[in-house]
Amino acid sequence: MIANRRLELSTSAQTEFLDITTRLQEQVTAAGLRDGRLFVQSLHTTLGLAVNENEPLLLMDMQATLERFAPQGGGYQHDDFGRRAGISTDEPINGHAHCRLLLLQPACTLLVEEGRLVLGRWQAVLAVELDGPRQRRLAVQMDGDFTPQRPADADRRLVELELARQLLLDPDPVRTPMQRLVEAGGKRVRPMLVMLAAQLGRAPDSLRASALAGALELIHDATLVHDDYVDRAATRRGRASVAAAEGPSRAIAVGDYYFAKATRIIAELGNRAVTSTIAEAMEAICLSQIDDVRLRGSYPGDYAMYLRVVRGKTAALFAAACKAGAQLCRASAQATAKLTRFGDLVGVAFQMADDLLDYSESSGKPLGQDIRERVLSLPLIYASEDRRVGSRVRELLGGSLDESEVREVQRLVVSCGALERVVEEARGLVERALAELEELELDGVRPALTELARSAVDRTR
Amino acid sequence: MKQRVKRRTAVPDGLLSHLDSVWEGGMRQTFEYYRSFAGSEVALAAAMVESAVDLQGLGRGPADPGGLLLGDLCLARASRLLAETGDQRLQVGFARIVERVAAAAASGESPPLLREELSSLIAEDG
Repeated sequence: MIANRRLELSTSAQTEFLDITTRLQEQVTAAGLRDGRLFVQSLHTTLGLAVNENEPLLLMDMQATLERFAPQGGGYQHDDFGRRAGISTDEPINGHAHCRLLLLQPACTLLVEEGRLVLGRWQAVLAVELDGPRQRRLAVQMDGDFTPQRPADADRRLVELELARQLLLDPDPVRTPMQRLVEAGGKRVRPMLVMLAAQLGRAPDSLRASALAGALELIHDATLVHDDYVDRAATRRGRASVAAAEGPSRAIAVGDYYFAKATRIIAELGNRAVTSTIAEAMEAICLSQIDDVRLRGSYPGDYAMYLRVVRGKTAALFAAACKAGAQLCRASAQATAKLTRFGDLVGVAFQMADDLLDYSESSGKPLGQDIRERVLSLPLIYASEDRRVGSRVRELLGGSLDESEVREVQRLVVSCGALERVVEEARGLVERALAELEELELDGVRPALTELARSAVDRTR
Repeated sequence: MKQRVKRRTAVPDGLLSHLDSVWEGGMRQTFEYYRSFAGSEVALAAAMVESAVDLQGLGRGPADPGGLLLGDLCLARASRLLAETGDQRLQVGFARIVERVAAAAASGESPPLLREELSSLIAEDG
């Protein structure tokens, strides 16, 4: 089998080295290429490829080498437009760029084994812009053995149908606000983890898995309804929160109703291990919520404190989704344990990415909400520990903040590089999570689990 | 000290973690009521459900955030206790009762009589 793709690149400098290794790996994962080759080819005469080390000083050395080899303004005949026929009005003066391509390759082939690009520890695939900035395209072709995949969105559609079914007959006063929340979107990461994990055992059953997946999403949504009351959040998923729209009494009742309903749906599955797994996770979530509120007194806290709360608040349900899915289909003990660790790591990474949304205008939640409500957040912890801005951040967070001070905290967090640090840490956790799965036989599910794990971190909502 | 020893003999360690104040605030008496006709896990689960409804002000008025979170913990721990019993009928029955209480609270209707419903469900088991 052969799969063809195109990659779009935006370059931002005349000469630039873009590391495209991750994007190529994503192509391999998304296509489900298990063993074979990936060919990548530049579709331009001034964009080359190289496999080399992505180290900033080395990249400067390589740029200097290219410039020495073919200096700009070196009297190239290609730039003598008077002697050339049929040139366009926007023809660039770029003889040097064409000549520099002689030191690079227009295409390269990479081996793929077990769904991973075969690269040495320091090797990265670099697209080298020689005449930018420009929009660029690369052709990618993959050839080899592909893992058969279920239709990409079949599981997701099943989860949506199940959620709609579960809400259909509920009394209006609880159904209407919950339906608004469910229909506002959400990433459905937890139910999708259930659906994928539930394919890895001896007794996969999509309908039972979707019942469990839907129940897990309802538990998550019920905790959001209660959280928004505790945090006094006016909006959720870009809409008024249940507490803001319906009042606190209704919000508490709605959360309780769906908490109980989800518990019942899970009990009705009749799998004792699954019931225990979810019950333990729900308790962990509640304990960490209490911990979270208590720790707001020692705001902004430290990394150990943060990790303890996040493991309960977010990662517990991610881990439980993987574990319960595996238990439901009677997966092996080894697979269940590895999937549980995978879920835990992805859950922590997910929460770190969530913390970043407090600084994103497109997230659907008000900017600076975590700062106002004194929610434990990793960017704030890193900023408060920064040598340059830490003392000012701690001073500001030590008192009650007006809006200009909230904005100042945000600026300080951005300026000290805390957001980039959190992104790197979250991505590192996702890679550790994926490493947990490396030795498992994950017929057809590895690409989807990989994509789900990566998308948990690289998101804007 | 005497009370603490008594509690430890009645309720396994850890099940009241974070809930000491709730226990002393009335959950103990509720537990003792259910304990007269149910096993200790089921009696504690029932006491926790009653306490949750009380802490969260279901059908009365909204709890403060602290009460809400403690109530959530009571509901979650009740679920865990019932999961440990492995009794599916009780798990489903408890959940249905909480659904009815919450739905009534959300509608502004009179809530079902919680203690009667729980007692009746537990008694069927006996």
